[in-house]
Parts: sequence; structure tokens; C-alpha cells
Amino acid sequence: MVHDNNLCIGCQACNVACRSENKIPDSVYRLQVWVKQEEYPNGSLGYEYHRQSCVHCENTPCVSVCPTKASHVNEDGIVLVDNDLCVGCLYCVAACPYQARYVHPVTKAPDKCTFCHESRLSRGEEPACVTVCPTEALVFGDLLDPKSKINKVLSERVTYRQKERLGTKPKMYIVPNHKGGINS
Amino acid sequence: MTQMLSRRSFLKLSSTAAAVAGLSSIPGTLGAMEEAKKQYKGNTKFTPSICEMCTSSCTIEARVEDGKGMFIRGNPADKSRGGKVCARGSSGFNQLYDPQRLVKPIMRVGERGEGKWKEVSWDEAYTFIAKKLEDIKQKYGAHTVAFTARSGWNKTWFHNLAQAYGSHNLFGHEATCPLAYDLAMDDVFEGGISRDFGKAKYIINLSHNVFEGIVISYARQYMDALAHGAKVISLDPRFSTMAAKATEWHPIKPGHDLPFVLAFINVLINENLYNKKFVEKYCEGFEELKASVAEYTPEKMAVECDIPADTIKRMAREFAKAAPKAIFDFCHRVTLTPQELELRRAIMMCNALVGAIEQEGGYYLNKSAAFYNKYLGENDPKAPVLKKPKTPAYPKVEVPRIDRIGEKDSEFFLCKKGNGIVTLVPHAALNELPGVGYKLHGWFIARNNPVMTQSNTENVIKALKAMDLVVVFDIQVSDTAWFADIVLPDTTYLERDEEFTASGSKNPSYGVGRQKVVEPIGECRPGWRVAKELAEKMGLGAYFPYKDIEDYRLQQVGDNLDLLAKLKATGSASFGVPLLLQDKKSVAEFVKKFPSAASKVNEEGTIDLPHKIKLFSPELETVSKKGALHYEPYKYKEADELYFINGKSAVRTNGHNGNNAWLNNLLDDAAVWIHPKTAERLGIKNGDKIEVYNKYATQKGKALVTKGVREDTVFAYFGFGHISKDLKRAYGKGVNSNSLYSPLVSPNSGMNLHVVGVKVKKA
Repeated sequence: MVHDNNLCIGCQACNVACRSENKIPDSVYRLQVWVKQEEYPNGSLGYEYHRQSCVHCENTPCVSVCPTKASHVNEDGIVLVDNDLCVGCLYCVAACPYQARYVHPVTKAPDKCTFCHESRLSRGEEPACVTVCPTEALVFGDLLDPKSKINKVLSERVTYRQKERLGTKPKMYIVPNHKGGINS
Repeated sequence: MTQMLSRRSFLKLSSTAAAVAGLSSIPGTLGAMEEAKKQYKGNTKFTPSICEMCTSSCTIEARVEDGKGMFIRGNPADKSRGGKVCARGSSGFNQLYDPQRLVKPIMRVGERGEGKWKEVSWDEAYTFIAKKLEDIKQKYGAHTVAFTARSGWNKTWFHNLAQAYGSHNLFGHEATCPLAYDLAMDDVFEGGISRDFGKAKYIINLSHNVFEGIVISYARQYMDALAHGAKVISLDPRFSTMAAKATEWHPIKPGHDLPFVLAFINVLINENLYNKKFVEKYCEGFEELKASVAEYTPEKMAVECDIPADTIKRMAREFAKAAPKAIFDFCHRVTLTPQELELRRAIMMCNALVGAIEQEGGYYLNKSAAFYNKYLGENDPKAPVLKKPKTPAYPKVEVPRIDRIGEKDSEFFLCKKGNGIVTLVPHAALNELPGVGYKLHGWFIARNNPVMTQSNTENVIKALKAMDLVVVFDIQVSDTAWFADIVLPDTTYLERDEEFTASGSKNPSYGVGRQKVVEPIGECRPGWRVAKELAEKMGLGAYFPYKDIEDYRLQQVGDNLDLLAKLKATGSASFGVPLLLQDKKSVAEFVKKFPSAASKVNEEGTIDLPHKIKLFSPELETVSKKGALHYEPYKYKEADELYFINGKSAVRTNGHNGNNAWLNNLLDDAAVWIHPKTAERLGIKNGDKIEVYNKYATQKGKALVTKGVREDTVFAYFGFGHISKDLKRAYGKGVNSNSLYSPLVSPNSGMNLHVVGVKVKKA
């Protein structure tokens, strides 16, 4: 997935659509967009939009620490939790460098963004956040398909990934804000 | 508490508690209903409909996952909105299934505003209202009851009821919101206009914050324009999301937009930047305009609006150069001032002067069926016109309306009777207005919340308390319902069918209105049914010649059943091809589609505009001596006060959905923005509890210290500080901006003022 900071307006449509589609209890969230006012070196102001959610690493700390293989990566590269295998040790919650996991208040198992794997991808639909995003700041698709829209976007826009130094290789790409001085 | 529990367990808890203690739930609400009756049944396939979380009426579709919830998305068939919704649109399910929503009629048993209610049956409610209305009619006359209905659907039903009963005091919400630019369009263009943002190369935006006060199609078009390299200039006292996305941000002085625009026109004319050919052919009143703006030089106006003269000149030059792909956005709300009508007229004249009319990337005239059909020849098919059921003539009212619309010398003559100057209602309840001759004694309010949305809350509440009858039709005990005698539960938009709509942009279009996604919960009833049943109780059934909404829709389409089927299946329909009269390519396409329209094409390959664009208004000159544009400085504040302004948040709509659990969790107590230098001077730190006060009210809030607001200004989001204690999540949280505003009703436009002086101190 790509999150374009230039197109994002921080409206939280993604946040609420995720809550609605995935029946997320009110006290927790799979996805939020954190809005922060920045003052850039040239003195101008801007807003930075941070998508706070699972970044679906390729090299996954949460899966590595899971003693029961409840946390796993499926064939599409999506990081998931199998509640039936989970013993609730919460190692994964501690291991995630992105603070993307929470304990579901009802199941007591860790839960997180699944790219709507169970609710939407299986029906051939895009994740709820992508479906509703008013300004199309989110692009979703198959990274292995060279002709996919997401690969086209990745070839056209400069992107970075969060905490790349950790070697986690997230599949969440971010287009930085042009206003910050980086043009793509 | 709700934040710690899942909604399901919360519902369970609240109903159990109600059953045991019998007092924790508000009478008539969903939370007070038996568990078994709360289940909802609905369509598991996507149903196309229209959102009602705000008034933008975006196209949506929704599906129910039985017993699990609902997913709402934009209608993918609607290209202008791209199948998208905002956070408010996504949270519709939460409104539908909110334990605090009203699902039974309730009647006041204590004093107004005391919050003591009893549940009553619909028949009891109708009987009560019918008797009270009859009493007022006998004692003071039916015209002393004002009827306010939110724009669109509810107006059809409740304005019909009002006129059948004998009142011509009909209102919408417009005077608190878009009225001034609607009036300006009618004056300058003799009809509605739209903006082709997506194709524009240069846009000037005065506080029109489409990225927070979201209209999906506008937000997408603005973003499109930016992505294609358009220059967007934001003039806003606050650093809004629009200001952040814009190419340039200029913090203009609150309430001083008009001097900026007048100087802008001055430059367009004096530097010969205007399109002489276009102005000569399609405009009238140029000489009067030229004379009236001569004194408003950029140098003189720069002092007023706080934008440097050179910047004004540069923008005017850039704007003229970009024309016809240039838009001076006539904007929504801005910082409402006493000269709203002049401001919007002046903005629209900028686009006319550079000829950015009826071409891509500029303004275009809205083309309803009647407009479009005028250009079609005899042999061409015509755009269908929706019909209305025939009703008996309404009783004639001999006295003027409170806004005197319809009288020869009414200053509000530009305003349509169905809109009216609703901001005058509180004044007319408290005093006999000049030339009116009576006071209002009753207020019937359908889906409008004047206690939150009109300026000067105290004045509105005082008026409500002075009334003999206050009826509110709403989905919750809104801040206005809090002061009502009786509150009737409306359906949420996901539970009702509505009449079909017809509108026009570049070509005529039609909408399904709303379609039911789930069966109504509890005893709530839709507006078309409530108005009809109440009318029948009052012996006025003949004015409602339809069995139900399906029957009404059938009467609307007549024999055009294809249209009916298409609307129900896809949510919308359009006729013909987009038409821009001054665009050769568009006109050629139009003629290709409708060959007999060729006779309307002029020698340049375009079509002449149907009316002259008025740069001077003879009508306004006759009534108010305001035909030309003039700037009248207004004293908003004392020297030791700060400007106070408000604006929209992306997760809350005006006075309407602040109590929605999901939205409220996102932003429940919006802070007051204050500049670091001002904060330091006042000894205020970020997050401090503060008091914002003036002669009208004192509001408690917290401070957000930020460079995103002018030093002389404080800003708060609108729609906070709810007054109804039955809106338990939103009650009392945040600063209620309207309580701080003056009750002034602006001349000619009837708009409220949204700039006022305040002082701020640490609480």
C-alpha cells in the first residue's frame, strides 16, 4: 500500500470506515491518521499525516517471536493472527516496532490491520480505507504484479518506509510531503 | 465509559440498567427500548442512496451484514465523487444504532429546557400539536407560526403542511449558511452557478476549507487541480488544511475579505487586465463598477485586509493571465460579515471580468432541464421535468412575512420564499419587527438546530422560551429539541425513502433521493408520513394527495418509468451531454448529439449566454441604494479584544452529529487556537484551561498554542459546546462559538455575523 502525504487531508474517513467494516470496538483502533503541524526550515507551516497502523513487514518481528505460529504471513504477504492458535502471550505486541497491535477487548487476542483480508479482499474488494479515501491518498495492489497500479505509483513517486533501518521491509510506502522540501 | 466497552456490550449494559433502575435512559430513546425490539433488518446488497451526515448530500451506497453492522461507501457510479465518503459518511451506522437516538415521540413534562419528558403515542402527539396549532390560529392567526425545515426533502413536506395550515412564514437553514452566495448568483447571473475546480489553473480561495468542511466532489476537484500543477491561493486567518495544501497561504484579517476583493477588481480594471470583448458582449454595468471601485486602490485596501498591495496586484495579474481557467471561488461561509451580499457579488464579478465563464476551469451556469431544453430544437428529445402532485390552493395570508419577502420594498427581495431569513425568527418572537405588525408565537422545526447554528445562542433560547408552541422533528433530542414541547422522532437517512430530485450542473441530472437500507427502528417515522398524518389530523389531508412515498415518486415521473427504474437501481441519472456555452469543443459535441441545436450556435462556434451578467444591480439600487459595490468598515471588536472566528472540522458537522460516538471519540473537546505571541502575553500555555468571553457569553475551553492563526485572532471549531443534556457525549464539551456571536442580521442577505471581539484568560 502507498500513503501519499500530499493527497492525505487527515479527514479520518479511513479510520472510521475501518471501524465500521471490521467492527472494531470503540476503545481500540486498527488504523488512525495522526495529524501534526510542522514548521519547516524555511519558516512555512504544514501538516504531516502519519498513518498509524500495521505496515505489513516482509521481515516480521511479530511473527518471529510468536511461539505458536498464530502470527503468520499469508501467501499474499499479509501479516495475520490466527486466534485459535494464539495463547495470548502478547510477545508480538511488544515486538512490533510500529505499535500496530492491540489486545482485542472481547477475544483477548492481539488484533491489527489485515488489509481487510477477511472482510473485503476475499470478495475482490479493496481495503475499506482505500475504498472510501476522498482524495485517493491510499493506493493498494499487488507488488508482485509489474503492471499493477501500485507499481506504477511507486515508479512515479518518491517514497520511503518507516524505520527502514530495522530491516523489517514494510510493504507500506509513504510519499513524503512536498511542502517539506522533497519533490518527487 | 463507552470508550472502554464495545458498543455491543454497552448497549446491553445500558438497557439492563434501564430495566433495573428505570431511570438511566432518556425516555423515547433507543437505549430505553427492550433488547428484542432493537434488531434491524436490512438489505445485504449495496443500496444506492444519499448521505445525510451533513447537508452536502453525497451519493453513497450501503449494505447490511445482518446482525453484524453495515458498510457505507460512496456510490461508484457517481464520477464526481469517485465512490468516496468522509469520516462522517462512514459513521452513519453509528447514528442509526445509537442508544441515545430518539425512536418514540416525547412530550415535555417540566419547564422548557429542564429535560423532563414522557413518552407519548404518535396519535397523542398529533392530537396535541393539532390542538395547539388551532389555538394559536384562533388567538393570533396561523401566520404567527414559523415553519423551518432543513434544505431539500423535509421542506417539501413541512412547507406544504405550513401553507395548508395558513402560514407563509416558511424557512430553511440557508441564512445561517449559504444564502448570501445564492442571492449573489441570482443577482449577477440570474441563476445558479458552479465552479469547475478540477480543470482550473489558478484558484483564489477565501477560507473555503473543502478539506475539512468536506464536500467530496469539491475536495477531489481541488486535489486534482493541485496535482495538475494549478496554483491555489488560500486567504484564511487560520492555517486550515486548505491553507496547508494551497500553493500560498496569506492570513487575511478576519471579516476584511471585501476590501481585498474590491482592490483586486480595481487592479483588474485599472491595469486593463479584464477581458474587454467578453465584458462588452455579455456584461452590463461596467462603467458603474469601474466608478465604484476607483477609490479602492490596493494601497488603501491593504491597510484594511492586511494583505500587501503588491501581493494583491500580483494575484490579480496572475489570475487574469490564467483566465479562462481561473476561479475566484465564491466560497462557503468565510468569516461571515455584515456585507455578505456585496462580498459574494464582488467575487463573482472577478470571474466575469476575465471572461472565465462557461469554459473549462471557470464558472458555469447550472443547467436544469428547463435551461437545457431551451437550446434543443423541436426534433430533439427533451430532458424530463419532474412533476409535483396537484394540491388545492393554499389559504391566502393578508399580512407580510416576518422578513417581508414578497413586499415591494423588502430588502431581502432576492431571497426565495422557501429559504427565508430564518435568522429573523428569534427576533420576531421577541419583538414586532418594523413593517410586520405581529410577533411569532409558534415554531415548527424539522431537522434544524437553531440553538446551535444561529448566532447568539442566548437570543435563540429566549425566543424559544417565549413561544406558545415549539415542535421539533429530529433523530435525537437536539439542542433545540431540548427546549421543545414535543419532539417527534424522524428516521435516520438509512431508514427512509425520499422523493426523487432534479438538478443541473453542465447538464440536467436526477437523483433517487434516499433509499431505505434498513427498516425503521422503533417507532420513528419519515417526514413525508409525519406531515401527511398530522395534516389529516388537522383536516387538511387533501393537501397530501399521495398514499406513500412510492406513490409520490410515481406521480413525479409520470409515464417515464425508465427513469424510475434507473434511479432506484443506480441512484442517479443524467440527460444529454455536458454543455459549456463558451467552449467551442463542448458546443460541437452538443450539436453532434442534438443536431437541431445548430441554430443556436453563433459565428464564433459558441452559444451566447442567456442573460447579461450584472456588474451593477438596478434592483438593489432601487431598494437599498446598493447597486454598486461599496465597502462599509465595521467595528467587530474593541481595541483590547481579539477577533474570534470559527470553522469546520472534518469529523463533525455543524450542530448535527457531535454526539455520534465514533466521531465524538475522534474529537470531543476541540481546543481554541491561539498564536504563541498572544498566548505568551496572556500567560497561557498549550493545553491550559481558558475562558473566552465577551459581552454576550463566557465559554470555557482549552488552549492550542499554534502559529497557525493570526496574532490578533483566536479560532475554534464549530459545533462544540452542546447545550442539550440528552446529547450525553457532546454536552458541554468545547467552546460553543455561536454563543459568543452578536445576534445581528445582515442587511440584504439576512446572514449572521461570524466575527466578534473576545478576551481570553487562563481559567
